[in-house]
Amino acid sequence: MAIAYRHLLGQHNPSRGEWGPPWRSRKCSVGNKMADANSPIKLTGVAAAAAEGKGGGCCSELSAELIRSLTELQELEAVYERLCSEEKVVEEELDALLEQQSTIESKMITLQRMGPNLQLIEGDAKQLAGMITFTCSLAENVSSKVRQLDLAKNRLYQAIQRADDILDLKFCMDGVQTALRNEDYEQAAAHIHRYLSLDKSVIELSRQGKEGSMIDANLKLLQEAEQHLKAVVTEKFDIATKEGDLPQVERFFKIFPLLGLHEEGLSKFSEYLCKQVANKAEENLLLVLGTDMSDRRAAVIFADTLTLLFEGIARIVETHQPIVETYYGPGRLYTLIKHLQLECDQQVEKVVDKFIKQRDYHRQFQLVQNSMMRSSAAEKIEPRELDPILTEVTLMNARSELYLRFLKKRISSDFEVGDSMASEEVKQEHQKCLDKLLNHCLLSCTMQELIGYYITMEEYFMRETVNKAVALDTYEKGQLTSSMVDDVFYIVKKCIGRALSSSSIDCLCAMINLSTTELESDFREVLCNKLRMGFPATTFQDFQRGVTSAVNIMHSSLQQGKFDTKGIESTDEAKLSFLVTLNNVEVCSENISTLKTTLESDCTKLFSQGIGGEQAQAKFDSCLSDLAAVSNKFRDLLQEGLTELNSTAIKPQVKPWINIFLSVSHNIEEEEFNDYEANDPWVQQFILNLEQQMAEFKAGLSPVIYDSLTSLMTSLIAIELEKVVLKSTFNRLGGLQFDKELRSLIAYLTTVTTWTIRDKFARLSQMATILNLERVTEILDYWGANSGPLTWRLTPAEVRQVLALRIDFRSEDIKRLRL
Amino acid sequence: MSMEDYDFLFKIVLIGNAGVGKTCLVRRFTQGLFPPGQGATIGVDFMIKTVEINGEKVKLQIWDTAGQERFRSITQSYYRSANALILTYDITCEESFRCLPEWLREIEQYASNKVITVLVGNKIDLAERREVSQQRAEEFSEAQDMYYLETSAKESDNVEKLFLDLACRLISEARQNTLVNNVASPLPGEGKSISYLTCCNFN
Repeated sequence: MAIAYRHLLGQHNPSRGEWGPPWRSRKCSVGNKMADANSPIKLTGVAAAAAEGKGGGCCSELSAELIRSLTELQELEAVYERLCSEEKVVEEELDALLEQQSTIESKMITLQRMGPNLQLIEGDAKQLAGMITFTCSLAENVSSKVRQLDLAKNRLYQAIQRADDILDLKFCMDGVQTALRNEDYEQAAAHIHRYLSLDKSVIELSRQGKEGSMIDANLKLLQEAEQHLKAVVTEKFDIATKEGDLPQVERFFKIFPLLGLHEEGLSKFSEYLCKQVANKAEENLLLVLGTDMSDRRAAVIFADTLTLLFEGIARIVETHQPIVETYYGPGRLYTLIKHLQLECDQQVEKVVDKFIKQRDYHRQFQLVQNSMMRSSAAEKIEPRELDPILTEVTLMNARSELYLRFLKKRISSDFEVGDSMASEEVKQEHQKCLDKLLNHCLLSCTMQELIGYYITMEEYFMRETVNKAVALDTYEKGQLTSSMVDDVFYIVKKCIGRALSSSSIDCLCAMINLSTTELESDFREVLCNKLRMGFPATTFQDFQRGVTSAVNIMHSSLQQGKFDTKGIESTDEAKLSFLVTLNNVEVCSENISTLKTTLESDCTKLFSQGIGGEQAQAKFDSCLSDLAAVSNKFRDLLQEGLTELNSTAIKPQVKPWINIFLSVSHNIEEEEFNDYEANDPWVQQFILNLEQQMAEFKAGLSPVIYDSLTSLMTSLIAIELEKVVLKSTFNRLGGLQFDKELRSLIAYLTTVTTWTIRDKFARLSQMATILNLERVTEILDYWGANSGPLTWRLTPAEVRQVLALRIDFRSEDIKRLRL
Repeated sequence: MSMEDYDFLFKIVLIGNAGVGKTCLVRRFTQGLFPPGQGATIGVDFMIKTVEINGEKVKLQIWDTAGQERFRSITQSYYRSANALILTYDITCEESFRCLPEWLREIEQYASNKVITVLVGNKIDLAERREVSQQRAEEFSEAQDMYYLETSAKESDNVEKLFLDLACRLISEARQNTLVNNVASPLPGEGKSISYLTCCNFN
């Protein structure tokens, strides 16, 4: 059974695809009841058998041949039983299927009934489609008519507009005549404006109409009226300007744009304004020439004159900007100012010419240049004489910058309004025009020229005044520094400050650069030379040094200060000179840093006003950082000077004092040790000597430098003491004595320096520890793993060397040590 | 300054007659632009470009000076701190070439003696209007011991090369200087201060 079943399924499978929809197969199976013999669940399987047209016995195929071949009763019975049970099952299945028959049949009937309905639906759908098509074409018909109507309406409006225009035209024609007759130019201009704003094609079309000839005539009249009006307005405007009748000038100025004469109106109006500017400027210039030299403002009278000129123009712009904006529209201010600037340039030229002549500016510049070139004292210009003129020039430039900034702001904002809808290109074009106007106008060029001369003269002023300050250098007792440092920085600050007051970033940066040069090479050289003369020692070297110093003085007599002109009459003064110079160098380094900070804060205000374009800050920062770097060069110089002082003044003294240590035996007995306690053989005197020597420096040097010097000195002592210790011999008590001595020395030095000195004396302290040992092997309690917090600064070889200094230690023991 | 991200910082100053194309060279190099109808420079302009040469970041501070006479005192103040000067002339303008000796005098007077000077003949895109032959310029630069290069800011010819070669030379020069300083016996101040600084570090 199982085999047959599988076979049956196998037969069915390949043919499954050919089968139609399930309801059709259902129908078949109903038609052939034999097929329903199989299980209702396996309906498809049953249907397969039916479709293949197999006979009824097929279901129990297993029986037919099998049964026939059976002979044993037992087997037959078994088969029979199985068949019976099979039959039972089949019967049950058949019953179940038969029960379903009625449902299926009723469904079939429903389906058959639905047939005609479907046909009906199809017909309906077709009808609906037809209707939709019809409606669609209808709608299109309707909308095209609406469109036509709309067009018609538009045309109608145009026609009405045109009729209105024509009526307006007629009204204008009549109106112009009347207005002109009544000298009501505003009204007339309004009519002409109306006429000009009419569509030209309208006029053209109207001529072609029936009333062509009449309109033609009227138009001609209107054009004549236009020309007439233009002529009248120009004439009246000219008369008004000649009479200086501002209300009339403004009245006709307002009419120009109505007639489409924007450019002409602006140019005529600015002509009028320029004349006013010129008149006022000439008056002012005459006043200048008549100014008494004792006048309070006499020194800056030309700057004041320029200020008046600029203020006048600014006032004009302020006053008339609203009219221009209202009647000419935004974006026109540039044209007006361009005209005004031409006049301004001319007036500036006159003022500057007078300035150059009266102040002898060019000749002064020539003199400065000559004396800078030749550096001969023959025709040297007194720097103090330049002071007022330099101040005036920077003031003039500051005023110009302020004025130009005002123009820039006004024009930019006017363009901004006018160009709000314009393309990027137009905007850039306008920006270019503006930049050109401001950067390349004669005013800018003239000022650039003046500033060019100014910088050279200011440089001269700075250099000469610095030289003078150096030459007049004085030192007051009780002061650490001499007068020149304060003077020099006062001068440099003044010069940079003056350049800053010109409001020109390039001018400021140039002066910062030149100050950097002045401080870094010239002034630093002065201090350098002073240090090079050295610190005179008091002993034998004194004589030697005195000779070299004298030679030095002769070499650089001009640049040296008071100390040197006197010569070194006393070594004391030369010593003082050296110490004061060291203080000076330190203060210079400080002052440069301070100067940088001050300038930085001074300029933030300037930059916040947007002076000098986008790069201004970067330029300034770069120049300033160069200046600040000079501070480090002075620091280096200070360090050099200190080293010199240490090696020439301190070392020759300290070394012999330390060498005395060698003559004090450290191979001593109890008795001597006690004696040393009472009468100290070395260290107390050494400390006393040091104290005396350093007292001189402490009084003469600034705390910071003194501190550095003592630090150098302690290093020196540590090194020198180490040398003598290694040359001495010790026994147990001698080691103890040395330990005591070292402790006193360290205790003293700790009180005179703010630096920690323990580190410098670490090696010596460790040597003292070694020299203090009871026996050689005791070192191992401190060495290697036992060193604890102690970091050895001595190498194993050095440890052995120090151990060997103890005469009571056997060299074999030392050799045997494993370090 | 040491916080910033570069290995070297050099100042390069461009000088030469007005209108020879200094600004265009700088713009071409720093921004890759050739702005036609460039107005005359006012005072000095300042641009920065950082380039990488053999893996090292080199910051070039480029000062573009105005060629017009009236700005001379401003531009001169920048010579002394310059590491390199680019002396530019226009190959289509004899006058700009004839002024070179005058410029060299200025360099002599104001610049540091360690400055590197490069002679640049600009505008080779206008070869048909050339007035100064390459040979003449080369001979001149050789006599003055200057490096010479012809460029076109418009066509971007040799512009990159000009600045990068210069940067390379500045680097090797700077290296040599530090080398010389290290070999030379330390100044009296230096040796001591160093040992004493290291002492402090132990604390």
